[in-house]
Amino acid sequence: MGRLNRDTLIALVLLVFCGVMFSASFEIEVTNYGTMQSSVWPQVVLVVLTVFSLGLLGQSIVKPRTVEASAEAVPGGLGRFRNALIVYALFFLFLLSLDLLGMLLGGIGFVFLALTLLGEPSLKRVPLHLLIAVAMVGIMWSIFTFGLGVLLPDGELLQLN
Amino acid sequence: MLDHILYAFSDVFAVWNLALMTIGVTAGLIAGAIPGFTIAMAIVLTLPFTFGLSPVEGLATMIGVFVGGLSGGLMSGMLTGIPGTPSSIATTFDGFPLARGGKPGFALGLGVWSSFFGGLISAVLLVTLAPSLAVIGLEFGPWDYFSLVLFALTITASLSGENLMKGMIAGALGLFIGTVGEDEVNGVARFTFGIDDLESGFSFLPVLIGLFAFSQLLSDIQDRVKAREPLMDLSGTDGRVRVEHLAAIRTIFSRWTNLVRSSLIGVFTGVLPAAGGSISNILAYDQAKKASKTPEKFGTGIPDGIIAPESSNNATAGGALITMMALGIPGDIVTAVMLGALLIHNVQPSPTFISDNPDLAYAIFIAFFLAHFIMIAMQSVTLKLFLLVTRIPMYVLAAVILAYCAIGVFALNNIVYDIWVLFFFGVAGYILRLLGFPLAPIILGVVLGHVAELNLSRALSIDSDLMLFLSRPWSLFFLVVAAFSIAFPWYQKLRGTQSWTLAYVPALLAGVAVPMFMMEGVVRPIIGVALLAVSAYLLWRSAKAGWKVAPEGDHEVHLEET
Repeated sequence: MGRLNRDTLIALVLLVFCGVMFSASFEIEVTNYGTMQSSVWPQVVLVVLTVFSLGLLGQSIVKPRTVEASAEAVPGGLGRFRNALIVYALFFLFLLSLDLLGMLLGGIGFVFLALTLLGEPSLKRVPLHLLIAVAMVGIMWSIFTFGLGVLLPDGELLQLN
Repeated sequence: MLDHILYAFSDVFAVWNLALMTIGVTAGLIAGAIPGFTIAMAIVLTLPFTFGLSPVEGLATMIGVFVGGLSGGLMSGMLTGIPGTPSSIATTFDGFPLARGGKPGFALGLGVWSSFFGGLISAVLLVTLAPSLAVIGLEFGPWDYFSLVLFALTITASLSGENLMKGMIAGALGLFIGTVGEDEVNGVARFTFGIDDLESGFSFLPVLIGLFAFSQLLSDIQDRVKAREPLMDLSGTDGRVRVEHLAAIRTIFSRWTNLVRSSLIGVFTGVLPAAGGSISNILAYDQAKKASKTPEKFGTGIPDGIIAPESSNNATAGGALITMMALGIPGDIVTAVMLGALLIHNVQPSPTFISDNPDLAYAIFIAFFLAHFIMIAMQSVTLKLFLLVTRIPMYVLAAVILAYCAIGVFALNNIVYDIWVLFFFGVAGYILRLLGFPLAPIILGVVLGHVAELNLSRALSIDSDLMLFLSRPWSLFFLVVAAFSIAFPWYQKLRGTQSWTLAYVPALLAGVAVPMFMMEGVVRPIIGVALLAVSAYLLWRSAKAGWKVAPEGDHEVHLEET
């Protein structure tokens, strides 16, 4: 997608977002106390956001070349997001499995799988990745649990608290 | 006062606190030394550890990370040419050539000791200026605070470089994120769409870590090959680097004017809301080059090119702390996080902060002083450790840090919902980053949105007359500065190449002189007269030179928020 199209699309999405939220702002409860209603500030912010979004839309149409892409973007298809998608998927699974595995096992599982999938795909690295995952998450879990007295979530599989 | 200072001394110099500060400085040094791992990120990751600590211990630890991070950034900048943090961008200009030229120890010594002296100058100003600024802050009403926040927001957007419009959109998005959940004024739920969890809104920490740490780490490992490579290639240095302390100190003292000037630039930049070390180091480098008798040698590895950015970026920390403590306005993204930390500890920075919490205020002053001494010691002792950490592949660091993020975020409120918020903003931050949106304005929007709304509401409940925003001197002052800060990116880009830029500074001076005349007392109107006189002189000088400008494109330094 070209820069012109991309920024135009971003601006349009933002404008739709502003419209939906502005509409939602009328659902905010009206109170009979306080000088300024709770909907005033969000509406002011949304108006400002709308104005800037219109500015971006105008800029993307009039001067498309001045809108720079992120320096971090690299060429390629969806494959360029492979690592990011892996991490997001693993983190999502980690969150979904938190009730079952808890923070300790879930954390170890997340780090181990992330290291294995992002690192070099060789069998001899698996024990190393497991060691890193157990040691690093274990240390941090211990610091929070025993040092700072924070009760991290226990899973159904392993209950330590 | 002496009682409070002594009490603060005993607090800060407690063995446990010293240990925490040492850990904080070391963590900051490591974080600063790792490219892509910003100081803000390090502070954010430290924040959960401070929940179980007292405010003094928590703040002292974070100040340690702050000071350590500012100094640690020079490590990678000098050894690899990749600045560890945006605060060390200009350090690479001369630090890298000097290190590559066979003097890595001397280059590191210059950087370390410049950071130290810059920080000390800033600490002295912090102690002397913060109480005075707090007294001025007592004059502020809600109108003035609202305008100050507006100024803070405009300068953030104006520092978004080429992405000005996207920077402003990011700031507005941050403000909007802050409106989700129950509002502080009336306690009414907003934009919850029937989801109970959303009624408490988005906690600051998960948003912060998600936007910054999560998205940054994923950007760092995006490239499949680079993700598996060590952070740094130290083959050129054989991994053996020893800091040359004495030679560095002698050199810095022989160039004391550069040190003092750069430190003052750093403090001034730090005091300005939202203008942090990423700007001050380049400004100081630029000024050092302009003041030098041999400007052509800059960029080849000369000491002045290291002293300027390194002293200024550490001095910025003190300036930012002044604004945070005296006005409750974060001077940069790092102090925004520290402001959040204070709020978590039920401490609200304000003009009365120093008088209401003298023990904590003086403890912060002392901790800031002390952190620089610890930084010097740890920088020398743990150099080898830094070199080891920088050899770890990025994907290992990323996976482990993300697990730490989840644990840390959960500890905030002991609810899993916060980790979901972290995940959501991690995705959003990554997408926004890819689309070219700067993320810092979002964070400042989230932090400042509450302050802005609260003060707007207070102002309107006292008097609904909107003209008060223009008729109150401090409010007008900040609105004038805000207006000029919006135009600043264009001024910066076209300075000296378009005739209107010659009138920018005189117009700014004349503009701020007007509210000065409206203020009470004798001193401020006199300052107003002086500003007008300088403005008239600058205009006269430009007119005398025939409003001559250089051809477009002739810029020495291009500032861009990284």
